[in-house]
Amino acid sequence: MIIDVHAHWGPWFFSMEVGQVATNLAVMDRYGIDLAVVSATEAVIYDVAAGNRAMARVLAEHDRLLGYLTINPRRLDDAERDLRELLPTGRFVGVKIHTDYTGSPVTSPQTREALALVAAHDLPALVHTWGPTPLDLAQACADIPGLRAIAGHMGADGWRHAVEAANSVDRLWLEPCFSHTEAGRFAAVAAAVNPRRLLFGTDATLIDPAAAYGAVVAADLDPELGELVAWRNAAELFRLDLGTD
Amino acid sequence: MTGEPRKPFAAENLPPVTLDVDVLVGRYADRPGPVGDPAQVRAALAANGIAAAAVASLRAALFDVPSGNDEVAALAGPTVVPVGAVDLRDPLGAEREVVRLAERGVRAVRLFPDEQRVEPDFPSVRHVARRATEAGLVLLAGGDVRRFWRPLRGATVVFLDTHFYHLGDFVVIARDEPGFHTSTRLLNSPDALETVAAQVGVERLLYGSRTPFYEAVVPRLRLAHADLDATAVAAVAGGNARRILGVTA
Repeated sequence: MIIDVHAHWGPWFFSMEVGQVATNLAVMDRYGIDLAVVSATEAVIYDVAAGNRAMARVLAEHDRLLGYLTINPRRLDDAERDLRELLPTGRFVGVKIHTDYTGSPVTSPQTREALALVAAHDLPALVHTWGPTPLDLAQACADIPGLRAIAGHMGADGWRHAVEAANSVDRLWLEPCFSHTEAGRFAAVAAAVNPRRLLFGTDATLIDPAAAYGAVVAADLDPELGELVAWRNAAELFRLDLGTD
Repeated sequence: MTGEPRKPFAAENLPPVTLDVDVLVGRYADRPGPVGDPAQVRAALAANGIAAAAVASLRAALFDVPSGNDEVAALAGPTVVPVGAVDLRDPLGAEREVVRLAERGVRAVRLFPDEQRVEPDFPSVRHVARRATEAGLVLLAGGDVRRFWRPLRGATVVFLDTHFYHLGDFVVIARDEPGFHTSTRLLNSPDALETVAAQVGVERLLYGSRTPFYEAVVPRLRLAHADLDATAVAAVAGGNARRILGVTA
């Protein structure tokens, strides 16, 4: 069992043809990924309301995909309406916040307000982090009661900050996806943080799962830790009933 | 029947790599990471199913060109194809080194513009590329392909840093430049390898790992799952590199 906690559905603006659901399923099959938690690229990059609704329609037809409801911190009215209207579908299990595409750093008032809204709904938030910003997300977890956050990309090239961040609070999780696969990055993080805070994320279909999957393979995790990373931690965080022990 | 618990993450049946075009020995002074001891690099290559590699020296790229290149030349053998380095901050020294490398039978010269903080419109880049091409050397080029294509026109080049974000730019220039090739290291989107193969031919793709600084298993895993036939995979995994570097052994 493998759960990908950082995936997308929809087209990207680069020279690539990866926007169909069939591509999601194909890349999952390439690497034995059973479930993926996806956000709509339209919602992340451009129109959050339209993207979330398109995502809901896709989720209704594909059991292997679970949804992130995307929040644009600059459109909190949309966020409240989308949460009210789309959570009852039962297919959205978390919230996605992309700090760069929305011009809303974790430290900005609007993102702090968005994270408080997410915490009030008791949903995990996948937040884009880069460089030192996992530390800002850890501070948000410390400041906002009940907030459970995933540091997307675990800070990318700032993964050493992600280690410090994850060790400073008990409600911050890390996932490794990054197109630059520095040798030993995931192994170093896995050796330095609480193993219950590690998740598997790929950034598919922007990035092929080879990048994150290979990084985890290279870390040569023991089977028990491998299972935590592969799915057990994700199942617990997202409160998934997988019918397993 | 019991056995070892199965690991959820496993990479099996990956294609063997017969020549990796992007391997370094030596260290970076400005960042953490491996020291790039040659024995450790050889061990990393073997552990990742890489039979041979085009190896360049960070000592040459960052500190002293002749002694660094001599260090790599001393490693030559079945597993190491020595690649020369030049310092683009010293075009006069670089033109001398190109001659010395060619006289010693070196097949390729590697450019490190990012590490040397050299920009594509600096005269040195165009000059060194011309001299290397005149000497019959292949260029292994770091740097952003969207900018370094211009001074390298007409050369046989492997762009080592082509990111899939910039794949479209590589393809449109490679259509006009038959000598332009790319490493697979950062082509880790779901269809990048297939796009290059369809647009300009699989012969333009060369497996590159940047051992010991990047995870060698990632481009190998991506290649294993590519929508390419076995002949094409073998070409990417070393056949193409052997052809353009003239490696026959």
